Amino acid sequence: MFIAQIKNELGKLFGKKRTYLGFGILLATQFLISTLFRYTHVTRPLERVLEGNGYAATPCLSVLTIATYMLIPLNDLLLPLFAALIGGDLVAKEAEDGTLRMILSRPISRVRLLVTKWLAGFVFSTVLIGLLGLFGLVCAGIYFPWGKFAYWNPVLDIFGVFDGGTGLQRYLLAHLLMVAEAFFILSLAFMFSCFNIKPAAATILALSLLFASVIMEKLFRDYQDWFPTWHTHVWQWFFLEHVPWWQVGESACILAGFTATFLVVGCMVFQMRDIKT
Amino acid sequence: MIELRNVIKKFGGRMAVDDLSLTVPPGEIFGLLGHNGAGKSTAIGMMLGQVWPTSGSVFVCGHDVTAHRHAALLKVGAIFETPVFYDYLSGWRNLKILSAYSAPTPPERIRTVIDWVGLTGREHSKVRTYSHGMRSRLALAQALLPRPELLILDEPGDGLDPEGMHEMRRMILRLHRELGLTILLSSHLLNEVEQLCTRFAVLQQGRKVFEGTVAEVRTAPGKVLLKTPDFAAATALLRDRGLITGAAEKRFITLAAGRSTAEVARALVSAGLLVEGIWQQEQSVEDFYLSLVKTPPRN
Repeated sequence: MFIAQIKNELGKLFGKKRTYLGFGILLATQFLISTLFRYTHVTRPLERVLEGNGYAATPCLSVLTIATYMLIPLNDLLLPLFAALIGGDLVAKEAEDGTLRMILSRPISRVRLLVTKWLAGFVFSTVLIGLLGLFGLVCAGIYFPWGKFAYWNPVLDIFGVFDGGTGLQRYLLAHLLMVAEAFFILSLAFMFSCFNIKPAAATILALSLLFASVIMEKLFRDYQDWFPTWHTHVWQWFFLEHVPWWQVGESACILAGFTATFLVVGCMVFQMRDIKT
Repeated sequence: MIELRNVIKKFGGRMAVDDLSLTVPPGEIFGLLGHNGAGKSTAIGMMLGQVWPTSGSVFVCGHDVTAHRHAALLKVGAIFETPVFYDYLSGWRNLKILSAYSAPTPPERIRTVIDWVGLTGREHSKVRTYSHGMRSRLALAQALLPRPELLILDEPGDGLDPEGMHEMRRMILRLHRELGLTILLSSHLLNEVEQLCTRFAVLQQGRKVFEGTVAEVRTAPGKVLLKTPDFAAATALLRDRGLITGAAEKRFITLAAGRSTAEVARALVSAGLLVEGIWQQEQSVEDFYLSLVKTPPRN
């Protein structure tokens, strides 16, 4: 029954046109970014850094490199927006529409209902990130050849050059951690969605908290790891030559801890509230 | 089937349900009557474990809803005033989703309830293409899926056209007759309660101000029509003899407690007054309800 209930939640989620609209926007944006990478000189700084470090730039301007660079703006802007929109809708939209009252006239416990929705949210996060990675490779593949993988992020002080095989491994590992990031954001919005508020309010609250955390993290750099959003950049550490596994594990655990806390708080609030039209 | 014991529900400082005790025995169609905001939906919310009572206990199918919600609601179906579904999915898919929250339901059962409510042929169409009447029938179908013993209907006729309302009432009676369901019907439509319910309770400002049968209401001592050429002399005589307590509109008298129309006729005839006709006016639920709600609830 539990699996059937999760499948039903997924059916509701993926039955909406809006979900596919989001995926369509992702694809279109990635295609646009990839085109800009091809026809502008935006890769010049990377080329200079590569040449300065003794690497030939041309073989490094590959599918993997461009696909990864496309992830940065999407990860910072579109990913939080999509994850927060879906998370904010999960409970509050059903409460607003009135379908929640119909569900809760059945003998399912509130906690069980929330857990099924939350797990459906996890599946959505995985699909979203999977498509993000896949669309990136497809769109970059239109203009750029397969080759070496290079990554340079001066803000996080990351620089790495890998052969195609290793690069693909790192690319996939980075996506695994991006799932944790997307699920963290979705769970934050999901928690607010359990309160007696409108779905848009849940999304806005979640995004506001995320942006506040980003601002604090940038203002107080000495304490940046105190803010959860700092740990959402952890996927980029896979592009260091020697992956700091301990730090990656620590950040992943912090994100998982926050995510679980959001579920617990959401369950407590939802359990206590009255469901009325 | 349903038992509420001294239930109180407050929303902040506002009293929504005040010391409500109610018993719905099995096999009955029980009406919950009251104007909008009287506390009917809150009471139903508490029966379904959606609204937590501030104090008191709610038992459904012999189980405390607060402590054992799963056992209490296992054999309960419910319909709410505005039938809402996942519009972007088909009727069939909606039923499949909703049935998964109760117990595993084979497709044959879904087919049976669709057939029962008369939606066969439209079950695979998206709900957004359904009329209000079809949505109401789909709501009934979802309520019937877990083979309920108790059906809770919260203003099921709301928003339906006269034909749809007639259809819904016919369906309710059929459910009661053929499936032997206990039905709790909340409504603010007096004729609906009058036509369908064997017993009903009236809520006013969260308080129960009446509970009884429709027959009791109809036969309650009320107005008696008296046709006599000299109404003033007749009522004066009847008052003197303590047979009536009031007279109105030069044709209606109100009998004193324990007095009958036969006694009145005998008294008038023996006093030489002509009686052209005398008969008890049957009280409608509407008259009774209006007389109740015009009276402020006791503190």
